Amino acid sequence: MSDAKTSIPSKNWAPARLGKGEAEYIAAPSLTYWQDVRQRLWQNKPAMLGLTFILFLIGAAFLGPLITPHTYYDQDLKLSNIAPILEVYEVDDGQGAPTYFFMNSGNFKLYETNEHGALKSILRAKKKDLIKKRHIYEFGDQQVFVDFSQLPARLLDAEENQLAVYGTKWNQTYWFGTDSLGRDVLVRQLYGARISLTVAFIATLVNFFIGIFYGGISGYFGGNVDNVMMRIVEVIATIPLTLYVILMMVVLQSGFISIIVAIGTVFWVDMARIVRGQMLTLKNQDYVDAARTMGAGTWRILTRHLLPNTIGPILVTLTLLIPSAIFIESFMSFIGLGVSVPMASWGTLTSEAVETLRAYPYQLFFPAAAISLTMFAFNFLGDGLRDALDPRLRT
Amino acid sequence: MLAYLAKRVGMMIITMFLIITLTFFLMHAIPGGPFTSEKMLAPEIEAALNAKFGLDDPIWVQYINYLKGILTFDLGPSFKYPGVRVNDLILDGLPVTAQTGFLALLCVAALGIPLGVLAALNQNKWQDTAVMMFATIGVAIPSYVVATVALYFFALKLNLVPTFGLDDWRGYILPVVALSGFWLSFIARLSRSSLLEVLGQDYMVTAKAKGLHPFTVLFKHGLRNALIPIVTVLGPVVANLLTGSFVIEQIFALPGIGRHFVLSISNRDYTTIMGITIFYAAFLMVMILIVDMLYMLLDPRIKLAEKSK
Repeated sequence: MSDAKTSIPSKNWAPARLGKGEAEYIAAPSLTYWQDVRQRLWQNKPAMLGLTFILFLIGAAFLGPLITPHTYYDQDLKLSNIAPILEVYEVDDGQGAPTYFFMNSGNFKLYETNEHGALKSILRAKKKDLIKKRHIYEFGDQQVFVDFSQLPARLLDAEENQLAVYGTKWNQTYWFGTDSLGRDVLVRQLYGARISLTVAFIATLVNFFIGIFYGGISGYFGGNVDNVMMRIVEVIATIPLTLYVILMMVVLQSGFISIIVAIGTVFWVDMARIVRGQMLTLKNQDYVDAARTMGAGTWRILTRHLLPNTIGPILVTLTLLIPSAIFIESFMSFIGLGVSVPMASWGTLTSEAVETLRAYPYQLFFPAAAISLTMFAFNFLGDGLRDALDPRLRT
Repeated sequence: MLAYLAKRVGMMIITMFLIITLTFFLMHAIPGGPFTSEKMLAPEIEAALNAKFGLDDPIWVQYINYLKGILTFDLGPSFKYPGVRVNDLILDGLPVTAQTGFLALLCVAALGIPLGVLAALNQNKWQDTAVMMFATIGVAIPSYVVATVALYFFALKLNLVPTFGLDDWRGYILPVVALSGFWLSFIARLSRSSLLEVLGQDYMVTAKAKGLHPFTVLFKHGLRNALIPIVTVLGPVVANLLTGSFVIEQIFALPGIGRHFVLSISNRDYTTIMGITIFYAAFLMVMILIVDMLYMLLDPRIKLAEKSK
């Protein structure tokens, strides 16, 4: 390499000094497995985003219903099907006192608001001309027509000119609007989040307390114990989970408690299988023999030596099972087998929105977005955790 | 092979028997008879109905009779539709469910695997990113959300497809897309990671080094090995397409088995619930058996008789 650019004058060369012990010098601090996992998870942006969203959801579900002025069951039929975003119009009554209102394009009614978009009340039409398909409203000496002879409905003033929009305002009273019974959608969403998170929590609990120990015991003892226990699992696993949950719901009557019981009784099967598989390979490791030689009992070996070593696959399975539990609950609620009215779950909110899809399509947005975002969050976290826990992906 | 098959079929029969017993006694443990409703029946009428359907017999006599019925493929009468047998309900709904389910399965296999292969062969290029993005979305968004949002945009807003029914081919598009969405994405992800793992193996390098045609390398050496984990999930895929049809058939108002099943639950039509559950379980077990057989054909290294020990 006599290239001028890469040649280094010989005076710049000096022998490296190798001090005592420097050959074994470790440049980076040594990390334990879990420190390494944490670091890699921390660097995974989608996973951290997912985790943040889940934490936010937990906070909102827990605190939200405590601070909103509305409840999930309070109905106000006069204020039903209000949109979250309002096109507010302004009309002067002639004495200088303006009235602000918006039109609900689904039922052609006018509602009074203040100038910022806080709801006041429904306005009464002075006259309803059903032949010309228009409602006449009076504000002092001003007249406003709601013309629905052609759709979408229009707002006309006395000279038949279309009214100018005063401003597009966010609904200040009901941030997410109201449903067909005039209930606040936001607080119902938050209760839906509570239900989904409770289901997630129960699924976790069941997997930890039944799945892991069932699989652990089955794999650890092996032989006939394993045979019998795994046959039971096979029978349960033959029926699809959804079908099983539905059967349980039929027997227990539909309701939230039934969902919990249904998920609780069968949701540990996948976990049991995975832990058993892990256990079968781990139990022949030398450290288990060593522990046994030192006089450790079955329980101690199981809880102190074997289970901690299967924690990786357990965590990954768990992050995959949680969204599936949330999905099952919302799925059941969607087909009408889930939580009972007036309780709200994301599934029932979606199915209620489907009923009014033609008139109020925006009602589909919030529940659909909530369940999808939650699924995304758990999936991202699960993927990130799997990558972080897999030593083969280490760089 | 035959011995293994016999053993599997034996296991299946035992499992079926357990499922039948379990559903039978679960359904009979529900408080209130099948004719309990808001409208009180006269005691004589209720007694006559009970006698007609054999509900006044001791429970074990009913159980034996039910088992006998199943042996002759008779799932009993429906309690809610007079004169209709559960068999009729299933036969009535089967074509619809089978058609949409089969099309969805076809989509999953015929699109999911090629998409995964495309992503794996172009790892970290735009094709890979696009497929993975699509697959992540497909895995995360629940089928009923896909179905309702698609229904709104494509049927109500754009009028491209009918909102319900299967009268022409366009009616199939949304149900099949909604039904297959999750598993298509799942299979695409799985085939990608599985093929990536195979592509890194030494025998792939060897195959390339000895000058085989790239197609031979990919299909005979690569895909054949990469497909094994995909085939194992096909059983669960079939099961989930089946249960997924509950909600899809409800949203698109399709008269399939899933709809009959959901209706029978809200109607508390116990024989129908029992019958359809047993039908589902039997169908699934046969499907899983077929998948296991496929698995053996694909991978001669697996000796199933030993595996099942």
